[in-house]
Amino acid sequence: MKHSKDPFEAAIEEEQEESPPESPVGGGGGGGGDGSEEGRAEIDQTAEEDERPVDVRRPAKKSKTSVAVAEARNKDDDEEEEEENMEVELTKYPTSADPAKMAKMQTILSQFTEDQMSRYESFRRSALQRPQMKKLLIGVTGSQKIGMPMIIVVCGIAKMFVGELVETARVVMAERKESGPIRPCHIRESYRRLKLEGKVPKRSVPRLFR
Amino acid sequence: MSNTPATAAASSSKSKAAGTSQPQEKRKTLFQKELQHMMYGFGDEQNPLPETVALVEDIVVEYVTDLTHKAQEIGSKRGRLLVDDFLYLIRKDLPKLNRCRELLAMQEELKQARKAFDVDEKELVD
Repeated sequence: MKHSKDPFEAAIEEEQEESPPESPVGGGGGGGGDGSEEGRAEIDQTAEEDERPVDVRRPAKKSKTSVAVAEARNKDDDEEEEEENMEVELTKYPTSADPAKMAKMQTILSQFTEDQMSRYESFRRSALQRPQMKKLLIGVTGSQKIGMPMIIVVCGIAKMFVGELVETARVVMAERKESGPIRPCHIRESYRRLKLEGKVPKRSVPRLFR
Repeated sequence: MSNTPATAAASSSKSKAAGTSQPQEKRKTLFQKELQHMMYGFGDEQNPLPETVALVEDIVVEYVTDLTHKAQEIGSKRGRLLVDDFLYLIRKDLPKLNRCRELLAMQEELKQARKAFDVDEKELVD
Protein backbone atom coordinates (compact mmCIF):
# COMPACT_ATOMS: atom_id res chain seq x y z
CA MET A 1 0.00 0.00 0.00
CA LYS A 2 1.50 3.28 -1.01
CA HIS A 3 2.33 5.39 1.89
CA SER A 4 0.96 8.78 1.18
CA LYS A 5 -0.96 10.28 -1.63
CA ASP A 6 -2.75 12.75 0.46
CA PRO A 7 -1.85 16.40 0.24
CA PHE A 8 -0.60 16.78 3.79
CA GLU A 9 1.95 14.08 3.75
CA ALA A 10 3.07 14.79 0.22
CA ALA A 11 3.61 18.41 1.08
CA ILE A 12 5.53 17.52 4.13
CA GLU A 13 7.76 15.29 2.16
CA GLU A 14 8.94 18.33 0.31
CA GLU A 15 9.50 20.55 3.25
CA GLN A 16 10.11 18.81 6.40
CA GLU A 17 9.60 21.83 8.54
CA GLU A 18 6.14 22.58 7.39
CA SER A 19 3.68 23.06 10.15
CA PRO A 20 0.73 20.73 10.39
CA PRO A 21 -2.75 21.91 9.49
CA GLU A 22 -3.80 21.31 12.99
CA SER A 23 -1.97 20.17 15.99
CA PRO A 24 -3.24 16.81 16.98
CA VAL A 25 -3.98 16.04 20.53
CA GLY A 26 -1.75 13.50 22.04
CA GLY A 27 -2.99 10.13 23.00
CA GLY A 28 -2.14 10.67 26.59
CA GLY A 29 0.90 11.12 28.68
CA GLY A 30 3.41 8.44 29.36
CA GLY A 31 1.52 5.36 30.13
CA GLY A 32 4.49 3.08 30.36
CA GLY A 33 5.20 1.67 33.72
CA ASP A 34 8.94 1.50 33.39
CA GLY A 35 9.25 4.93 32.00
CA SER A 36 11.73 6.42 34.33
CA GLU A 37 14.19 3.67 34.79
CA GLU A 38 17.78 4.63 34.65
CA GLY A 39 16.96 8.24 34.39
CA ARG A 40 15.37 7.95 31.03
CA ALA A 41 12.89 10.58 30.15
CA GLU A 42 9.59 9.66 28.76
CA ILE A 43 9.05 10.68 25.27
CA ASP A 44 5.58 11.10 24.09
CA GLN A 45 4.85 11.32 20.54
CA THR A 46 1.91 12.50 18.69
CA ALA A 47 1.37 13.62 15.22
CA GLU A 48 4.82 12.76 14.25
CA GLU A 49 2.93 11.11 11.53
CA ASP A 50 2.72 14.25 9.52
CA GLU A 51 6.35 14.77 9.69
CA ARG A 52 7.62 11.66 8.32
CA PRO A 53 8.73 11.46 4.82
CA VAL A 54 8.75 7.74 4.88
CA ASP A 55 6.40 5.84 6.97
CA VAL A 56 4.36 6.94 9.67
CA ARG A 57 4.61 6.50 13.02
CA ARG A 58 7.24 6.54 14.68
CA PRO A 59 8.94 5.59 17.38
CA ALA A 60 8.52 7.30 20.59
CA LYS A 61 7.44 4.54 22.71
CA LYS A 62 6.24 6.02 25.85
CA SER A 63 8.66 4.46 28.16
CA LYS A 64 11.64 4.03 26.00
CA THR A 65 14.23 6.36 24.67
CA SER A 66 17.57 5.76 23.23
CA VAL A 67 20.38 4.96 25.55
CA ALA A 68 22.05 8.18 24.50
CA VAL A 69 19.38 10.12 26.27
CA ALA A 70 19.99 8.24 29.42
CA GLU A 71 23.50 9.55 29.42
CA ALA A 72 22.40 13.10 28.85
CA ARG A 73 24.74 15.68 30.16
CA ASN A 74 24.16 19.39 30.40
CA LYS A 75 26.47 20.29 27.64
CA ASP A 76 25.77 23.24 25.48
CA ASP A 77 26.51 22.65 21.92
CA ASP A 78 27.69 24.77 19.11
CA GLU A 79 25.25 23.07 16.89
CA GLU A 80 22.51 25.33 17.98
CA GLU A 81 21.34 25.82 14.51
CA GLU A 82 20.91 22.16 13.96
CA GLU A 83 19.18 21.71 17.21
CA GLU A 84 17.00 24.63 16.49
CA ASN A 85 15.91 23.14 13.25
CA MET A 86 15.08 19.93 14.96
CA GLU A 87 13.30 21.78 17.67
CA VAL A 88 11.30 23.73 15.19
CA GLU A 89 10.02 20.53 13.74
CA LEU A 90 9.36 18.98 17.06
CA THR A 91 7.76 21.96 18.73
CA LYS A 92 5.15 22.09 16.08
CA TYR A 93 3.87 18.82 17.40
CA PRO A 94 2.91 18.91 21.02
CA THR A 95 4.22 15.85 22.68
CA SER A 96 1.01 15.63 24.56
CA ALA A 97 -1.84 17.86 25.50
CA ASP A 98 0.01 18.49 28.69
CA PRO A 99 2.03 21.71 28.58
CA ALA A 100 4.17 20.58 31.49
CA LYS A 101 5.26 17.55 29.51
CA MET A 102 5.96 19.75 26.54
CA ALA A 103 8.08 22.07 28.59
CA LYS A 104 9.98 19.13 30.00
CA MET A 105 10.60 17.81 26.52
CA GLN A 106 11.82 21.18 25.37
CA THR A 107 14.35 21.47 28.13
CA ILE A 108 15.62 18.00 27.45
CA LEU A 109 15.84 18.47 23.72
CA SER A 110 17.58 21.78 24.01
CA GLN A 111 20.39 20.14 25.90
CA PHE A 112 21.06 17.33 23.51
CA THR A 113 24.47 16.95 22.02
CA GLU A 114 24.73 16.50 18.30
CA ASP A 115 25.22 12.80 18.78
CA GLN A 116 22.17 12.47 20.95
CA MET A 117 20.10 14.54 18.60
CA SER A 118 21.05 12.41 15.64
CA ARG A 119 20.19 9.27 17.54
CA TYR A 120 16.92 10.74 18.69
CA GLU A 121 16.13 11.72 15.15
CA SER A 122 16.72 8.17 13.98
CA PHE A 123 14.57 6.96 16.81
CA ARG A 124 11.68 9.15 15.82
CA ARG A 125 11.93 8.82 12.11
CA SER A 126 12.58 5.17 11.63
CA ALA A 127 9.66 2.89 11.05
CA LEU A 128 8.98 -0.41 9.45
CA GLN A 129 7.63 0.05 6.00
CA ARG A 130 3.97 -0.45 5.61
CA PRO A 131 3.90 -2.16 2.22
CA GLN A 132 6.37 -4.73 3.44
CA MET A 133 4.41 -5.28 6.59
CA LYS A 134 1.26 -5.64 4.59
CA LYS A 135 2.93 -8.28 2.47
CA LEU A 136 4.00 -10.12 5.55
CA LEU A 137 0.58 -9.97 7.15
CA ILE A 138 -1.15 -11.16 4.02
CA GLY A 139 1.27 -14.03 3.82
CA VAL A 140 0.70 -14.99 7.41
CA THR A 141 -3.04 -14.65 7.54
CA GLY A 142 -3.77 -15.93 4.08
CA SER A 143 -6.46 -13.33 3.61
CA GLN A 144 -6.18 -10.78 0.87
CA LYS A 145 -7.41 -7.76 2.71
CA ILE A 146 -5.59 -6.22 5.60
CA GLY A 147 -6.85 -2.91 6.88
CA MET A 148 -4.61 0.10 7.35
CA PRO A 149 -5.18 0.37 11.10
CA MET A 150 -3.98 -3.16 11.52
CA ILE A 151 -0.81 -2.53 9.55
CA ILE A 152 -0.12 0.62 11.50
CA VAL A 153 -0.66 -1.12 14.81
CA VAL A 154 1.53 -4.06 13.94
CA CYS A 155 4.28 -1.77 12.68
CA GLY A 156 4.14 0.10 15.95
CA ILE A 157 4.21 -3.04 18.03
CA ALA A 158 7.10 -4.45 16.03
CA LYS A 159 9.07 -1.25 16.38
CA MET A 160 8.68 -1.29 20.12
CA PHE A 161 9.71 -4.90 20.14
CA VAL A 162 12.90 -4.01 18.28
CA GLY A 163 13.46 -1.37 20.91
CA GLU A 164 13.11 -3.89 23.68
CA LEU A 165 15.50 -6.24 21.91
CA VAL A 166 18.17 -3.64 21.33
CA GLU A 167 17.93 -2.12 24.78
CA THR A 168 18.06 -5.49 26.49
CA ALA A 169 21.03 -6.39 24.29
CA ARG A 170 22.80 -3.27 25.51
CA VAL A 171 22.07 -4.30 29.08
CA VAL A 172 23.55 -7.70 28.34
CA MET A 173 26.64 -6.05 26.90
CA ALA A 174 27.02 -3.89 29.96
CA GLU A 175 26.84 -6.94 32.15
CA ARG A 176 29.49 -8.66 30.13
CA LYS A 177 31.50 -5.46 30.08
CA GLU A 178 31.73 -5.42 26.31
CA SER A 179 31.56 -2.49 24.01
CA GLY A 180 31.18 -1.74 20.35
CA PRO A 181 28.46 -2.78 17.96
CA ILE A 182 25.84 -5.22 19.11
CA ARG A 183 26.61 -8.73 18.08
CA PRO A 184 24.18 -11.56 17.35
CA CYS A 185 25.08 -13.33 20.59
CA HIS A 186 23.83 -10.33 22.53
CA ILE A 187 20.60 -10.28 20.59
CA ARG A 188 20.11 -13.96 21.23
CA GLU A 189 20.61 -13.55 24.93
CA SER A 190 18.32 -10.55 24.89
CA TYR A 191 15.69 -12.55 23.05
CA ARG A 192 16.00 -15.34 25.56
CA ARG A 193 15.45 -12.92 28.42
CA LEU A 194 12.43 -11.37 26.76
CA LYS A 195 10.98 -14.83 26.34
CA LEU A 196 11.43 -15.45 30.03
CA GLU A 197 9.67 -12.20 30.78
CA GLY A 198 6.79 -13.29 28.63
CA LYS A 199 7.07 -10.49 26.13
CA VAL A 200 7.39 -12.83 23.20
CA PRO A 201 4.28 -14.74 22.12
CA LYS A 202 4.78 -18.42 22.52
CA ARG A 203 3.74 -20.78 19.84
CA SER A 204 1.14 -23.27 20.96
CA VAL A 205 2.50 -25.68 18.38
CA PRO A 206 6.29 -25.87 18.22
CA ARG A 207 7.86 -24.75 15.00
CA LEU A 208 8.81 -27.88 13.14
CA PHE A 209 10.58 -27.08 9.91
CA ARG A 210 12.90 -24.17 9.65
CA MET B 1 18.41 -26.46 5.73
CA SER B 2 16.89 -24.77 2.73
CA ASN B 3 15.95 -21.17 2.64
CA THR B 4 12.58 -20.48 1.17
CA PRO B 5 11.85 -17.10 -0.39
CA ALA B 6 10.20 -14.84 2.08
CA THR B 7 7.05 -14.18 0.11
CA ALA B 8 5.10 -16.33 2.47
CA ALA B 9 7.20 -14.95 5.18
CA ALA B 10 5.76 -17.26 7.74
CA SER B 11 7.64 -20.12 6.26
CA SER B 12 10.95 -18.37 5.81
CA SER B 13 13.60 -20.37 7.48
CA LYS B 14 16.26 -19.00 9.70
CA SER B 15 19.77 -20.22 9.95
CA LYS B 16 21.06 -20.34 13.44
CA ALA B 17 24.49 -19.07 12.58
CA ALA B 18 23.40 -15.79 11.11
CA GLY B 19 24.90 -16.50 7.74
CA THR B 20 23.47 -18.08 4.64
CA SER B 21 23.79 -21.80 4.40
CA GLN B 22 24.26 -21.86 0.65
CA PRO B 23 26.29 -19.24 -1.16
CA GLN B 24 24.08 -19.03 -4.26
CA GLU B 25 20.85 -18.22 -2.46
CA LYS B 26 20.03 -14.69 -1.48
CA ARG B 27 18.07 -13.99 1.64
CA LYS B 28 15.16 -11.81 0.89
CA THR B 29 15.15 -9.11 3.51
CA LEU B 30 12.02 -7.18 4.22
CA PHE B 31 13.02 -4.46 6.60
CA GLN B 32 16.75 -4.26 6.42
CA LYS B 33 17.32 -0.59 5.70
CA GLU B 34 14.79 0.68 8.15
CA LEU B 35 15.97 -1.71 10.80
CA GLN B 36 19.46 -0.25 10.62
CA HIS B 37 18.16 3.22 11.39
CA MET B 38 15.86 1.87 14.02
CA MET B 39 18.61 -0.01 15.80
CA TYR B 40 20.76 3.06 15.79
CA GLY B 41 17.92 5.01 17.29
CA PHE B 42 17.52 2.48 20.04
CA GLY B 43 21.15 2.28 21.05
CA ASP B 44 23.25 0.43 18.56
CA GLU B 45 26.07 1.92 16.55
CA GLN B 46 25.54 4.12 13.55
CA ASN B 47 26.21 1.14 11.33
CA PRO B 48 25.05 -2.04 13.00
CA LEU B 49 26.66 -5.30 12.03
CA PRO B 50 24.85 -6.88 9.09
CA GLU B 51 24.54 -10.21 10.83
CA THR B 52 22.94 -8.50 13.78
CA VAL B 53 20.45 -6.76 11.53
CA ALA B 54 19.67 -10.01 9.78
CA LEU B 55 19.08 -11.73 13.08
CA VAL B 56 16.87 -8.95 14.37
CA GLU B 57 14.87 -9.05 11.16
CA ASP B 58 14.36 -12.78 11.53
CA ILE B 59 13.28 -12.36 15.11
CA VAL B 60 10.87 -9.57 14.21
CA VAL B 61 9.35 -11.56 11.38
CA GLU B 62 8.89 -14.49 13.68
CA TYR B 63 7.41 -12.23 16.33
CA VAL B 64 4.91 -10.70 13.94
CA THR B 65 4.06 -14.11 12.56
CA ASP B 66 3.42 -15.64 15.96
CA LEU B 67 1.52 -12.60 17.14
CA THR B 68 -0.65 -12.67 14.04
CA HIS B 69 -1.33 -16.37 14.39
CA LYS B 70 -2.47 -15.85 17.94
CA ALA B 71 -4.60 -12.91 16.89
CA GLN B 72 -6.16 -15.03 14.20
CA GLU B 73 -7.02 -17.70 16.72
CA ILE B 74 -8.78 -15.11 18.79
CA GLY B 75 -10.38 -13.51 15.78
CA SER B 76 -11.66 -16.77 14.41
CA LYS B 77 -14.08 -17.00 17.30
CA ARG B 78 -15.90 -13.91 16.14
CA GLY B 79 -15.36 -14.44 12.44
CA ARG B 80 -12.82 -11.92 11.21
CA LEU B 81 -9.44 -10.77 12.25
CA LEU B 82 -9.71 -7.34 13.77
CA VAL B 83 -7.34 -4.80 15.20
CA ASP B 84 -8.87 -5.42 18.60
CA ASP B 85 -7.44 -8.92 18.56
CA PHE B 86 -3.95 -7.48 18.47
CA LEU B 87 -4.81 -5.00 21.17
CA TYR B 88 -6.12 -7.81 23.31
CA LEU B 89 -2.87 -9.71 22.91
CA ILE B 90 -0.72 -6.84 24.09
CA ARG B 91 -3.10 -5.78 26.84
CA LYS B 92 -0.57 -6.68 29.51
CA ASP B 93 2.19 -4.65 27.92
CA LEU B 94 1.21 -1.13 28.81
CA PRO B 95 3.77 0.83 26.79
CA LYS B 96 2.81 -1.01 23.64
CA LEU B 97 -0.87 -0.75 24.34
CA ASN B 98 -0.75 2.98 24.92
CA ARG B 99 1.40 3.48 21.89
CA CYS B 100 -1.09 1.59 19.74
CA ARG B 101 -3.95 3.66 21.08
CA GLU B 102 -2.02 6.77 20.26
CA LEU B 103 -1.30 5.57 16.74
CA LEU B 104 -4.93 4.74 16.13
CA ALA B 105 -6.06 8.10 17.48
CA MET B 106 -3.56 9.89 15.27
CA GLN B 107 -4.67 7.97 12.25
CA GLU B 108 -8.25 8.85 12.95
CA GLU B 109 -7.36 12.49 13.27
CA LEU B 110 -5.41 12.48 10.05
CA LYS B 111 -8.36 10.92 8.31
CA GLN B 112 -10.62 13.67 9.59
CA ALA B 113 -8.13 16.30 8.59
CA ARG B 114 -7.85 14.90 5.10
CA LYS B 115 -11.57 14.80 4.73
CA ALA B 116 -11.83 18.40 5.81
CA PHE B 117 -9.05 19.31 3.42
CA ASP B 118 -10.76 17.64 0.50
CA VAL B 119 -14.00 19.34 1.30
CA ASP B 120 -12.27 22.71 1.47
CA GLU B 121 -10.53 22.12 -1.80
CA LYS B 122 -13.73 21.28 -3.51
CA GLU B 123 -15.30 24.43 -2.21
CA LEU B 124 -12.41 26.45 -3.47
CA VAL B 125 -12.69 24.97 -6.90
CA ASP B 126 -16.37 25.58 -7.16
